[in-house]
Amino acid sequence: MKLSRTPLVILLAALALAFVPNLGLPAFYDSLLYLVLHWVVLATSWNMLSGYTGYFSFGHGAFFGTGLYTSATLMARFDWPFLYTLPVAAALACGLGVALGAVVFRVKGVRGEVFALLTLAVTFVIGTIIVNTPIDGGNGVSLAGVAVPKIGPTPSSTFYLLALITATVTLLIAWGIAGSKLGAGLFAIHDDEDAAEVMGVPTYRYKLIAFGISCALAGVAGGIHALFLNYVTVGEVFTIAVPLTVVLMSVLGGSRHWAGPAVGAVAITLLLYAFTGSNLAVAGKAMVGAILIAAILFMPEGVLPRLQRWLVRRPPALPVAAPVPAAPAVRTAATTDVLLQVRGLHKAFRGVRALAGVDVDVRRGEILGLIGPNGSGKSTFINVVSGHHAGDRGSVVFEGRNLLGRAAHGIARAGIARTYQIPRPFAHCSVLDNVALAAMFGGAVPDPDAARRQAMQWLDFTRLHDKAHVRPDELNLHQRKFLELARALASRPRLVLLDEVLCGLNPGEIDDAVALIRRIRDQGSTIVFVEHVMRAVVALTDRVVVFNHGELLAEGAAADVMQRPEVMSAYLGQPAPLAAALGGAHA
Amino acid sequence: MLEVRDLQVAYGAAPALWGVTLDLKAGELLSVVGPNGAGKTTLVNTLAGILRARGGHIVLEGRDLTQWPAHRFCEAGIAVVPEGRRLFTTMTVLENLELGSLLPAAKAQRQASLDAALALFPALKAKLDSAAGELSGGQQQMVAIARALMTRPRLLLLDEPSLGLSPLVVHEMFGAIRQVNASGVSVLLVEQNVAMAMQVATRAYVLEEGRVVAEGTPNELMQRPEIQRAYLGA
Repeated sequence: MKLSRTPLVILLAALALAFVPNLGLPAFYDSLLYLVLHWVVLATSWNMLSGYTGYFSFGHGAFFGTGLYTSATLMARFDWPFLYTLPVAAALACGLGVALGAVVFRVKGVRGEVFALLTLAVTFVIGTIIVNTPIDGGNGVSLAGVAVPKIGPTPSSTFYLLALITATVTLLIAWGIAGSKLGAGLFAIHDDEDAAEVMGVPTYRYKLIAFGISCALAGVAGGIHALFLNYVTVGEVFTIAVPLTVVLMSVLGGSRHWAGPAVGAVAITLLLYAFTGSNLAVAGKAMVGAILIAAILFMPEGVLPRLQRWLVRRPPALPVAAPVPAAPAVRTAATTDVLLQVRGLHKAFRGVRALAGVDVDVRRGEILGLIGPNGSGKSTFINVVSGHHAGDRGSVVFEGRNLLGRAAHGIARAGIARTYQIPRPFAHCSVLDNVALAAMFGGAVPDPDAARRQAMQWLDFTRLHDKAHVRPDELNLHQRKFLELARALASRPRLVLLDEVLCGLNPGEIDDAVALIRRIRDQGSTIVFVEHVMRAVVALTDRVVVFNHGELLAEGAAADVMQRPEVMSAYLGQPAPLAAALGGAHA
Repeated sequence: MLEVRDLQVAYGAAPALWGVTLDLKAGELLSVVGPNGAGKTTLVNTLAGILRARGGHIVLEGRDLTQWPAHRFCEAGIAVVPEGRRLFTTMTVLENLELGSLLPAAKAQRQASLDAALALFPALKAKLDSAAGELSGGQQQMVAIARALMTRPRLLLLDEPSLGLSPLVVHEMFGAIRQVNASGVSVLLVEQNVAMAMQVATRAYVLEEGRVVAEGTPNELMQRPEIQRAYLGA
């Protein structure tokens, strides 16, 4: 593993900055630099959950405030030495965040603005509790009698150096997360949480981990700030101002980059202070606002990503494709060994029956066609088997284990992959990273670099290798469908569920895709193939099952099943298109 | 009725249409086919006013619409059924349809339009109070077409109406499109199901890499070996 330079640069910069108090600058500069670092910690820690996953928290003031009041109370009432209060501040803020997250992240509906409002509400609830209990008592807590430990040459350098240490640690953590498997999962959650879960990302646990770290760091920043302020009140801490400021800093700097919030924090803090001293304070504030509006209008992704694009014109070198370890057993013909056994599967949506007790066997090595009218339950079947929806009743036994009720990421790890009818790539990740994510989580390749090398192999397989570094929105539909396939394959599944991969392709492209699906089976995967293109169903499948109104209507070889009157009337219409479809297949 | 002259459209620096010229006569059912990425959806979105052309002209019934905002394309008599339907999924079917007739001219005839739409798609009668998102794919496509017809268009743009539909429903859908065309609405149809598109069209264009590469009646086009190879599969 190659050693990255980034953490060294962070540490060296921190070391250099540690000598600033020895320069003998006026105390004002210590305070200003302290504030810059203070906001670097708050913005960067906020970003670990909210920037990376898109779960915008407006509750950062609550965790910051929890840390602040923890330290203040321990010092003022219990005479704890200042430094001992900081771990407690971090632990309490972290505990609060994890407890909140444990409830909130379980509810699928709490995303986007609901999460933002909920966390803001938590801020006010905690603020109200503190102000009405002896913790604060309504008058604030004075720390006038608390001794400030002297670290560094001057009294004011204590805060500066503490904030410097915290900021260094925070940036190292933010950098570490961004390049790790955890970070890849968080970025995927940002773009499409459901697809991430289906690809094997344990979304609930990851959000909780990120939230916990984020809150702990905010708690430390609060603890230090308590003594810096010397007199703390609820009105100044549990406000919307803290989260709004960190949101602004992160968005300005670039919230998908680990260093973006730090850049934004430095810029905004310095801008604000550049004007407060002068007589033109009001005009200065207005100008800061105007600068921010302009920056966000013209650099919506943030300053840092924009700068990077200017500076780095050359696309990064492609990883060399690593041969993927051979499949456990290469089979080309269907066996009678049952890989997936579904019995009595029921699923209803608000009283509407989508699956009314279907029994399906998928045999190892076969391509099973799943056809039926629109609304017959085909997609629901795939959604339930892949864990996207929870089934109501029945059993889904895969390689002897019942998967019904398991989370989607667990099912992905058990060896089932799926594609979406309308491709759902992670829009802000490159094509390569989209596939690497599947290799990391579904395919259990923990090292991101190794996962990228394997991903190249799958891009070769689907002939997307020359698109590795573009964003998915630059692909046409045909290529996006192949990207779905590459992602499904990268998790090395034993069973692949294909939901209308051919839909929207023209006949020439369908032939390409059919050939690719054959190769997927030949390298060892079993395939369930939902499709309306009868020509492809006839050409590809070993067997088909037909659904109608959530029930099994027919089962057998494609050519045979399609002749049956009940299938014709429910699904194919008159025999004419069938004849055409079969004719097309043989032509 | 519709004259498109040297139409150029680009996404950022990447051109999608390189100068497309095509004509549509009143009452025609025109199909546009071609591979994915050829610019078919771009063409539809530009003709609907959703995308702005870089160059060229869109002239409808003698009026140059090229620089008009999207909502005025609707006033001018163009309705679009976008790819993937784009229904207001949490609203009822009836609300979706009523939103089609917001313009004063269409509002005056709302009831008549609604009756006509339900006559075209009787299956929607029982579903008027259901949320559009709860319907099956075929029914959703019906709602999308019906919503477009509620604007009383003279030109209907259809982008991939058969996408994701079962063979039986595809058949019904093309029947309905023919019926709409027979009632006097001109239709421009973009479709991957080339066989169906050619079966219903009066004339067709083949688009490749943002350019028109062939044009003619379906019979003429289908006889060309390169078209058969490329679009009907070997």
